[in-house]
Amino acid sequence: MKHKIMLVEDDQPILEMMDILLRRIGYEPVLVPDVLEALERVRKDPPALVLLDIMMTPINGWEFLEKLRGEYDMKDLPVLLFTALPSAEERLAQMKDQNLGILQKPVTIAELRAGIERFLSK
Amino acid sequence: MGETEIQIYRHSVPVSDIIRFCIIAALAIFCTLITAISFSRSVAFLNYQLFFIPILYAAYFYPRKGLYVACLCGVVFQAVGYYYSYPDSVAMVSVTAEAILFVLIAVIIAYFIERIRAGEVRYRTVFEHSQLGIILFDQVDFTIKQSNDKFNDMLHYTPQDILARSFFSIFFTPQDQTRFLERIKKGETIENFETRLMTKERDGCWVNLSWSRIDEKTVSCTVININARKLAEKMNNDNMMKYRQLTEHSPTSILIIQDELIRYVNPSFAVFSGYDKAEISGKDLFGLIDSRDRDSFTRFSQSWSRSIPKSDHGEFRFITKTGETRVGALSTTPIMHVGKPAMLINIVDTSEQQRLEDKILLDNERRRGIIMTVAHELRTPLQPILGYINLLVSDTEGYGIQNDTKKILERCLVSVDRERQIINQMLELSVLESGKVQLRCSMFSLASLVKKVIDTGGYLTKAEVTLDIGDPVIVSADKDRLFGILDSLLSNAVNYSKPPRKIAIYYRSGVGDNQHHISVRDNGIGIQESAFTSIFEPFQLADAAMLSRKYDRLGLSLSIAKKIVQMHGGDITVESVVNAGSTFTIHLPKEVPNET
Repeated sequence: MKHKIMLVEDDQPILEMMDILLRRIGYEPVLVPDVLEALERVRKDPPALVLLDIMMTPINGWEFLEKLRGEYDMKDLPVLLFTALPSAEERLAQMKDQNLGILQKPVTIAELRAGIERFLSK
Repeated sequence: MGETEIQIYRHSVPVSDIIRFCIIAALAIFCTLITAISFSRSVAFLNYQLFFIPILYAAYFYPRKGLYVACLCGVVFQAVGYYYSYPDSVAMVSVTAEAILFVLIAVIIAYFIERIRAGEVRYRTVFEHSQLGIILFDQVDFTIKQSNDKFNDMLHYTPQDILARSFFSIFFTPQDQTRFLERIKKGETIENFETRLMTKERDGCWVNLSWSRIDEKTVSCTVININARKLAEKMNNDNMMKYRQLTEHSPTSILIIQDELIRYVNPSFAVFSGYDKAEISGKDLFGLIDSRDRDSFTRFSQSWSRSIPKSDHGEFRFITKTGETRVGALSTTPIMHVGKPAMLINIVDTSEQQRLEDKILLDNERRRGIIMTVAHELRTPLQPILGYINLLVSDTEGYGIQNDTKKILERCLVSVDRERQIINQMLELSVLESGKVQLRCSMFSLASLVKKVIDTGGYLTKAEVTLDIGDPVIVSADKDRLFGILDSLLSNAVNYSKPPRKIAIYYRSGVGDNQHHISVRDNGIGIQESAFTSIFEPFQLADAAMLSRKYDRLGLSLSIAKKIVQMHGGDITVESVVNAGSTFTIHLPKEVPNET
């Protein structure tokens, strides 16, 4: 069974590309361009991993993460921050969350695969 | 008095004395003869009175010896008188009485003359040996009648010089003369009149004059030299003026604090604090300190009351009269004020400097923010490009891609990767410049690090690399960052040269040298000497137009490398010969400060 990976990303070109890329490396992508909708769906149907953009509206990736870990108590769900924001790494280092990783955009296929495999074994 | 003297036996006697002695003797003999004749002829009116002539003459010149003359004359007169009047006892008594009268008269004259002489001597002594200058001058035409040595010395005149002048003519200026005239007209006795007299060399000399009239025409005047005092006073006044001007016009605030209270403030402090002199005098400076800085100010000012206060510096926020906050840098110096210890405080208004520093900090922060945003915006669109090309290249058969198309795609990948790298370097430099980076220093073998760099970068396939670093060389540095620096130096050495590439990595340091010197030498295009500094500046390339076209790279790696080495307390330098090669040398201190 293929792992379900939820991609929360409001940039359409990236969304379309990642759809193909994730399928190619053997995962089942769940594409959610709307962050609020993603909040709904992550609880109803939890994926194996969330790829999370940060710069989104009306709530950003950090707030999404806060809700996920706090209110939803989904502390074990692996989250990979998928961002071009330079300061994300710094902030991530301070959070000390075992199930949290980062992929700095732009990523190559190899980097994407390695990033996911850190949390999901095939 | 150069009087001629004559030697008589063993005594030398002045000629005038001998002459006087002869006159007295002649007069006495003459009187004796006349008296004898008058007795023998009974001429009553010429009898003893004649003897007064030699007695008075002798007593006038020689008061004491005059007594002997009187006694001698008395004896002679008595002998002559007795001879002629014997046995008339009344006449004999009268002769004796007259003889006694001679002596009495001589005693009286001697007494007064002695007294007069003593008075004269006293006056002379006072006049000549006085510590004051004394001058006698004519009240009407001011001709100088007499002056003592003290006065002459004071103005460097000889007695002849001074007697040839009028007192009026030795005043220093016409103004001094006018003042003197006014004063002398006012009264006969004047005390402590300060003026200037002219010395022989025509310099001014401050004197204090007191005068009084001693007879109808003569004024006696005492002169005290006060030149030194006056000059000292003048210098003191000049110094006071200078000190005043300095403090009153100083752009920094100046205060004097004594017994914890403000004793003096200059106008600059009034501008700084908004309080004027009168408002602030006698107050405590503590009252002006911003409440946030009061604790530190209390600690700062504690030393002021110590027995041996020291100079100190500190920066505090002040609240002005209008409620504004101003920053002042204080420096204190212990001084004496009105005979008691006090603190002199200089306050430099650093508010503006502080504001600019804050602004620079804010601007830097803002610039960093912009760079972050720009980086984000530049990276995001790269993702689909990188992703799609990756995808195509990863499965050429599936996507039906020909071999030469694959090569084109791979070149695209290199460019995208380069752009990614540039953005990352830009970000790294921005972070380094913010000063928020902490080094993670450790001790490690330099040789093994360099070998790892060579292996990881695959430099052995790109160039002939020679390594000359002894195994025992241990450095203390941020290992990951030093790795990055060596990698970019090697990468530059490869990129800026053509095959056959030769790269030499070597280490130099001696005993007593407190730095490691790690060099990377290439045989590349070289760098002109004029660009040795600018290649380390961000976004600078030596001969930018030429090089950037040739190698299509931004020169950020050197700026980053230099920043990092400087954070270690070291530096990077370059030596180069155009078309022969360049040598970059990392100078790393053997002991890296931990706090950087």
